[in-house]
Order: sequence, then structure tokens, then C-alpha cells
Amino acid sequence: MTPIDDDAPPLDPAESLALIERERHNLGRDLSPDPRMMFWPWGIAWLVGFTLFFLRFGPDGRVFVDLPEWIPLTGLALLMVAAGITTGIAGSRVSSRVSGPSTRQGIMYGVSWSIAFTAFSILFGQFSDLLPEDKAGLLWAGGMVALTGALHMAGGAVWNDRDLFVLGAWTSAINVAGILIGPGWHALIVAVAGGGGMIAAGIIGWQRLR
Amino acid sequence: MSDNSEPLVTELDPVIHAQARLRVVSALSVLGEHDRITFPQLQESLRMTAGNLSVHLRKLEDAGYVEVTKTHQGRTPATLVRLTRRGRLAFDDYTAALRALLNP
Repeated sequence: MTPIDDDAPPLDPAESLALIERERHNLGRDLSPDPRMMFWPWGIAWLVGFTLFFLRFGPDGRVFVDLPEWIPLTGLALLMVAAGITTGIAGSRVSSRVSGPSTRQGIMYGVSWSIAFTAFSILFGQFSDLLPEDKAGLLWAGGMVALTGALHMAGGAVWNDRDLFVLGAWTSAINVAGILIGPGWHALIVAVAGGGGMIAAGIIGWQRLR
Repeated sequence: MSDNSEPLVTELDPVIHAQARLRVVSALSVLGEHDRITFPQLQESLRMTAGNLSVHLRKLEDAGYVEVTKTHQGRTPATLVRLTRRGRLAFDDYTAALRALLNP
């Protein structure tokens, strides 16, 4: 049988398979949010925000840089809001290109983050005043980083994305290490290994899509 | 390895055995089973003209391989395209046949 119209002549099998892979890669790339936009804002927020925490609230109550007390928390909060807006825009731009179950999956995943973070905040808010300042800080930071790790692992499961799962497992592991070593060090570990992990995830994801 | 091109033209699905439609179906195969892509996005990813893509989509639609839906996203009319189950099967058979030709 011959092709049913006079389109470009068929390729040989190897060329056809290469063509198939090329088009699948192209569309896959166009339908994925830019990993740099999804991970770098968070990586930078953690790197800068938790470094401020470490400098102001160091191990054993040390103060490396005598910043005003409100600076680290305000800085981290503002950077995280900016990161949330950036990833929200980058994600929704891509999701408008497709309609169907995967769009719903993306929305449900995004909403899970908001709901889970709100719930943790309300829970931790009940204990902030009861704990010494350094332990309260560790509870907040450790809890939020644990949640981030868990949601990244869940995202890896939802999209069968091994890199995302590894990022979540890595984040969870360094978080536990930091918690056990104690307040102050936890902030430094999360800044460097946690923030650095997300920046690395952005680079790896970007190179795979190119 | 088979360097004989005869089986190619006798066994392969004639609907997708044309470069442009193979490209369309390959791209659509990335979508989840019930996901639909907007026409402009498909056109951009495939780097085809709107007219050319429409012609090939119509042929694929006639074969029952794709489903084209007109809808509204907010107030703007949108055309959405998806690969049908039949189209996905045809694509899977086609790639399997290509692999068989390469590694008989």
C-alpha cells in the first residue's frame, strides 16, 4: 500500500523512529514548565533566607551578624511569596495549553501545597509561645522543610518523575540530619544542601528538556 | 537488520505512513489518554502552518485517529485535539512495526 496522499515520502525505519522521538521530545518540552522557573526561585529563597537565619540565630545562641531580629523571617517570607508567584505563573502558563485530567492533576497538586502549609502553620502557631525561641524556630523550619520534601516525593510519584522524587528524598534526609544536629546548624544545612538541591534540580531538569 | 524496504510499504499503516501525519500523531502520543491540546500549541510545537495542520488533522479524524473539539476557554473559542484510543493503538502498532523492521 502507498501513502494516501502525496505528502513527503516516507523515511526509512530508523529515520522514522528518530522523527517520532524528536516530535515527542518537542511536545513534551513545550508542555513542561521550565524547571529553572519552578526550582530556582525556591532554591534562592532557601539559600538566602536560611543563611540569614544562620547568621542571626546561629548554633548555641551565637550571633554571627547582628541583624535586626525581624530580618531573617521577613526576608524568607518575602522570598517564598515571590517564589510562589513565579512558579504559579510558570505552571499555569503551561497548563493552559492542555485540558483534561493532567490539568486537574496539576491543580490538585498545587492546591495540596497551600492546604498542607496552612495546616502546618496553624498547628505550629499553637506551640510557638510554649517553646524556647530556638526550638520554636526549629519546629517551624523543620516542619516546613519536611512537608516540602514529602510533597516533592509525592509529585515524583504522581508524574513518575524520578528526579523530583530524589529531590524530595534528599530534602527529607538533610532536614532530619539538621534537626538532629540542632538549631542554627539546621538553618545552614537547609540553606546550602536544601537550597542547593533545588537549584541543582532546576539545572538537571533544564538540561534534560533542552 | 533488514535493508529491504518492501515490507515497509506493504505492512505499515498508510494513514500515518506520511511524514507530516506521523509527526502529528507522535506529538499527540505524549498527551495523557484523555488530555486535549490546544490547536495553536500543537501547531507551534510541530512548526506547521495552520492550514497544513488542519488538512492532516482532517485526514486523521476521518480515520478515527484523532478527535477535534471546538469549545470555549472563557470567552475565546478554542480548538482542542486529542489522540483517540484507536489512534494510539495505530501509533503503537506503527512504532512496533518500525522496530521489527530494524531488528527482525
